[in-house]
Amino acid sequence: MQTLRFGPVSLAVHRRPLIAGVGLLALVALAAVAALLIGSYPITPGGIWQALTGRADAIPAMIVLDHRLPRILTAIGAGAALGLAGAMVQTMLRNPLAAPDIIGFTAGANAGALLAVLLTGGMILAGALAGGALAAMAVVALAWRGGLDTYRLILVGLGASLSLGAAADLLLSYTDENTAADMARWLTGTLHARGPAEVALVWGGLAMLAPIALWLGFPLARMTFSNDTVVGLGLPLAPLRLAVTALAVALVALAVSVAGPLPFVAFVSGPIARRLTGSGGPALPAAALTGATVTLGADLAARSIPMVQLPAGVFTAMVGAPVLVWLLWVQARKGRL
Amino acid sequence: MRADTTWHLRAATDRRPLVLLASLAALVLLALLALRLGYRPVDWADLVGALTAFDPTDPEQIVIREIRLPRLVGALLAGAALGIAGALIQGMTRNPLADPGLLGINAGAAAGVIGATFLLGMAAPGQYVWMAFGGGALGAAAVFALGGGTQASPARLLLAGAALTAFFLAMIRGLVLMSRQSLETYRFWVLGGFDDVTLGTLAALWPFFVAGVLVALAAATLIDALALGEDTARGLGVNVGGAKLLCGLAIVLLSSSTVALAGPIAFVGLIVPHMARAVMRQDILWLAPCAGIFGAGLMVLADLAGRSALFGGTMQAGVMSALIGGPILIWLVRRTGGRRL
Repeated sequence: MQTLRFGPVSLAVHRRPLIAGVGLLALVALAAVAALLIGSYPITPGGIWQALTGRADAIPAMIVLDHRLPRILTAIGAGAALGLAGAMVQTMLRNPLAAPDIIGFTAGANAGALLAVLLTGGMILAGALAGGALAAMAVVALAWRGGLDTYRLILVGLGASLSLGAAADLLLSYTDENTAADMARWLTGTLHARGPAEVALVWGGLAMLAPIALWLGFPLARMTFSNDTVVGLGLPLAPLRLAVTALAVALVALAVSVAGPLPFVAFVSGPIARRLTGSGGPALPAAALTGATVTLGADLAARSIPMVQLPAGVFTAMVGAPVLVWLLWVQARKGRL
Repeated sequence: MRADTTWHLRAATDRRPLVLLASLAALVLLALLALRLGYRPVDWADLVGALTAFDPTDPEQIVIREIRLPRLVGALLAGAALGIAGALIQGMTRNPLADPGLLGINAGAAAGVIGATFLLGMAAPGQYVWMAFGGGALGAAAVFALGGGTQASPARLLLAGAALTAFFLAMIRGLVLMSRQSLETYRFWVLGGFDDVTLGTLAALWPFFVAGVLVALAAATLIDALALGEDTARGLGVNVGGAKLLCGLAIVLLSSSTVALAGPIAFVGLIVPHMARAVMRQDILWLAPCAGIFGAGLMVLADLAGRSALFGGTMQAGVMSALIGGPILIWLVRRTGGRRL
């Protein structure tokens, strides 16, 4: 363990999380480079570099700058937002199964965004925020019975997710054929045809929310103890829970409004990050990087199948479902389920 | 056992055949009503004519015979099958939150149907129903293996089901999003409904429903013993492994045939056994037929509501049941606290 000091501020730096963080960062960079190179229009690494530095011809420049780069940046931003939100909620509820995409936050944001698009033709972020916040409030209120039992919350959230999913399917059936084709992809979570607007939105949002999330990570690390211990440590439990939930909803809504409800990204990031860093705490930076890696990897897999535009969400679900099964198995072995 | 409890139980026993008969009569009335109501109202004379002496030149009778009758029979079969499957799966796992739709069996069967139609080019229901069985059996085997078998807590089984459903759904979406045309077929089919049910589909699929009900009846005689716990059941001389296999077979037959007929419909199998338990108590031999009748009635009602002017005539029965079913699941979680039956 090393200690970093900046005047009055000091920070404990452990070696393993540092190595994990650098490794994940390298993985994201590697995936980004691969995503820049791979595509139906062949461009050499030199051509990519020329396009990035503004010295390429019109067509390669357009493909790199208007298509591949925004797509990559959106994937990283949305994945990081989902990873942060997932790790925060999982740590707060002390259960890796209690991720935003399982307990209904994501489904709420998704239904809200769809409704906003159908009613106004825009306002995706506002709709996602409102939908996510309403779903979170409803799930917590319905699961509340003189206290918050995590498994009751998970089951209630599962019910809410199913209902909201049906509502989204219903909204889809009201649209015409062309809109439906786009929306069906979006409902699965896609990064197809993302532009500068999405990049600005997700990175602008992250620039505002990520520092608060990282700062909340310090009290969150203490929330891994029991409620009594948390209160004994002098932490304001209720305001902290409210702040974490609100921030998680905002992050999920941000990701949903640029990429749709990429299933299981929020869910898998926290547990994977914890394993990599070997920490018992929230491991928020590593979770954000894991989310970015998973999302970018899923999009790469989706793009590498020729001729069809498969949504990245298909692949995140294929990664996420086995992880859910593994976590169930671990928890059952510990006798918690 | 105290004397008043005994009396109470006997009184309930006496009432059960009456309840069953009354609900059957109500179901027949509901079915006739469902044939009459619709975009084009039909009077009773035409209805009776279409059912007894069909006149192919009368447009009203054609509407009934060609459109409403297949739809009604489809809803009756699907609802009854899901209700019975739900009663079996809840009895077998002693899990009040079990349902073929929630546990991933429907999603597995749906993946089988989609794979059969889009990859293997099977178009006849009599063909792809076999793939539905394959997918449904895979889903059932996986959910019980991952969910810790019949001894697991409701939460674990439900989460294992959610994981499986997500996985199968991702596969289905991957398959159907590959072409525009398959998406058009799929986005209505996956909601679960009876728009596309024809007399031909019914003729191809009815033997599977009958087989499912027969296996279910055989399995039901063993479930009460299973519910006492495996050791007790073994002590009573029940072959536990065989009994579980028979139950699983009945559940897969019933829910996969329903998926092949009408797409994946969740929650009917969850809700109906609870309604039936309210009047029939725990005895599965009474519970299963009652769940079948209630399920058929609920499905016909959901279909009627879905094609009424209330929702612009576009609401699929499956969406209807999911919209209503989610809140009921939440209510059940709150009431049972996720404990076992």
